[in-house]
Amino acid sequence: MKRHDFSMALLTLPLVIFIAFVFVWPVARFLTLGIDNSGIAQNLPRTIQSLSKWKPVDGVPGETSFTALIADLADAHAKQQDGILAQLINQRVVGSRILVIKTASASANGDFAKSPAKDTVLTAFPGWKNPDIWTVIAREKTNFTDYYLLNSLDLQRSTENNIEKVPPDNAVLLNVLGRTIWISLVVTALCALLSLPLAQAIVSAPAIWSRVIFALVLFPMWTSLLVRNIIWIIVLQKNGPINSSLISMGLISSPFEMIYTRFSLYVAMLQILLPIMVLSVTSVMKNIPPSYMKAALSLGAPWHTAWRRIQLPLILPGIFAGSAVVFVFSLGYYITPMLVGGPTDQMVSSYIAFYTNKTLNWGMSAALSIQLILILAISAVLFLSARAFFNRNTQT
Amino acid sequence: MKMKRYMISVLAFLAVLGGSHSVFAGDAITIVGWGGTWDKAYKEGVWDPYMKETGKKLAFEEWEGEVAKVRAQIQSGNITYDLVSVEGPALEVGCAEGLFVKLTPEVTGDPSKYLPGTLGECGVASDTWATILTYNADVIKGEGPKSWADYWDVTKFPGKRGMYAQAQYTLENALMADGVVPGDVYKVLRTKEGVDRAFAMLDKIKPNVVWWSSTTQGIQNLSSGEVVMSDQYNARITNEILQEKKNYKIVWEAGFFYGTDMWAVVKGSPNEKSTLDLLKWFSVPEHQAGFSKLYAYGTGRIEAGDFIPAAWKANLPTAPEHAKFSATYDNAFWAENKEALEERFKNWQAK
Repeated sequence: MKRHDFSMALLTLPLVIFIAFVFVWPVARFLTLGIDNSGIAQNLPRTIQSLSKWKPVDGVPGETSFTALIADLADAHAKQQDGILAQLINQRVVGSRILVIKTASASANGDFAKSPAKDTVLTAFPGWKNPDIWTVIAREKTNFTDYYLLNSLDLQRSTENNIEKVPPDNAVLLNVLGRTIWISLVVTALCALLSLPLAQAIVSAPAIWSRVIFALVLFPMWTSLLVRNIIWIIVLQKNGPINSSLISMGLISSPFEMIYTRFSLYVAMLQILLPIMVLSVTSVMKNIPPSYMKAALSLGAPWHTAWRRIQLPLILPGIFAGSAVVFVFSLGYYITPMLVGGPTDQMVSSYIAFYTNKTLNWGMSAALSIQLILILAISAVLFLSARAFFNRNTQT
Repeated sequence: MKMKRYMISVLAFLAVLGGSHSVFAGDAITIVGWGGTWDKAYKEGVWDPYMKETGKKLAFEEWEGEVAKVRAQIQSGNITYDLVSVEGPALEVGCAEGLFVKLTPEVTGDPSKYLPGTLGECGVASDTWATILTYNADVIKGEGPKSWADYWDVTKFPGKRGMYAQAQYTLENALMADGVVPGDVYKVLRTKEGVDRAFAMLDKIKPNVVWWSSTTQGIQNLSSGEVVMSDQYNARITNEILQEKKNYKIVWEAGFFYGTDMWAVVKGSPNEKSTLDLLKWFSVPEHQAGFSKLYAYGTGRIEAGDFIPAAWKANLPTAPEHAKFSATYDNAFWAENKEALEERFKNWQAK
């Protein structure tokens, strides 16, 4: 490395360190939650050990397991891990959360000091007679699990440990994933289409008009996202300006259902993302000398042929770059679908938020985040190779 | 374990970066409420008088009841919340977990002087709220809906319905519409068939529902006529009727459920002692009434009612004339079933 390069690298070092520590590392750590299973294994080591030979058919385990359980739960309570442990067990055996937490706090209190432990625990908390809880504890002995990743693809492990589909009632996530990609593709395509005439207008209009149009395109970008979404709710609602003017003109008799539909979602996303595409396309278009088109036309090509064979190939790099950004932004959309879409228009991020905030199932949010990141990676590769392929074709 | 601690401190650092002014609050007690008009009423009715009387400083934050945040603060040893308002189910779980300070009668006053369900091992009621059936009387002229069965009846009352996009509230309402009296709802919901029955009812209304996920959005839909009736928090509707002069009606007699949010002191905070003093001050009936006078939610101490004007009392869910139509949200049920039912609900909604 040359000395110059080295000092340049040194200049960016603070930024690199900052990003590594507050962005890359925490995100990577969060993603590992998608395969992490240590919450049960690390908090109940002695109990799991005592269950090594136990089978569900044996029924409620014996004295050793209960002594181990009390010791483990008391430790978990002291480390404030009992809440998380109770939650993890409750995710697998619904209705066991308060049982685990209360047993843990009683264990830490020394309520079960006198033996036999099994009888004292079962008298105070008969819930431990349920063999399902013991089955879960005995099964979750490893530190890693594919439970969440499988679940994010509508799959699960059967009791024989084979991968199978989840019951159709619970199978929605693949559908949501497909929907997310589809909405992003449609928005990207619409943005690309609409940006062409706009960019052309900006490039070929007289300087003053060009600036006005450009400002009009940029202006929405400086408005708060929330405001833009709320405005669409007001404009598109049942008694909003569009419906009421259509009705007063006598064009329709009852109002259109526009808000909280896929249509309103496309409109709002388009408005938010269009400026990005326009910027990208305009910057490329500006550098194309107008003489190219004039030459083609003067040589007798009809306007559409000239545009398709001369102008379009030169614009394509701009469309590619804009599409990559718009597509990636669309994939992560959360607020807009939540505000202007209906329940069948919600995208993956809405499920990540649901699992993060509402059910606190961070394993599932991490698994879905991994899914989104993989799609991002795949689409980035596709965009890059498409561009490389295109560049090679135009050069030869 | 080390990793986990590192993670938590990074998260805590980010949370601090995320614009919390508590960093600069010094030794002021940080009170965490539900935001919006709720916070405003609490500040005006309770905290401002406290600051005036004692000369102490308070800092305010808002949250959405995520107890995981409290847990993360305790584990990282960087506690910025002192007094938080949490929902009933979360209080019970957090208390057993040891996240909150256990309260003595020295702080809360005589426990027998509290309304049922408004005093917990670790919490004192901050507010008793209810989810009621309401309609826009400018849109439904003449006879309005009288029951949840009417809410489900789209031939009798054409138009969309506003519904909060979560399982809690919605499942209870669905069973009431199917003829279950509020007092029996959890008996039914505790069986698999009962849950299926509630979802079957929801299937019937689904095409006519406009979902809301923030109160403002729900009220906006009601005001614009996008929906003709909705479930909603009672105090928000009372506010709209009185302050915005809206023609909404609250249908108490349709049946409603109420829940109690609790003030809880975060264990191990540097301000633990002064926060307990604050709570002791708050347990005086007249001080508790400060909030209920401004916001149509009930409060804990029975004698607090003596400080509330009689006419205003009719707006509270705890008013005796409404009590016979109501039942309380079952904290134990939701503490255990929340995740499973919310997930099933979300999946049902997405189909």
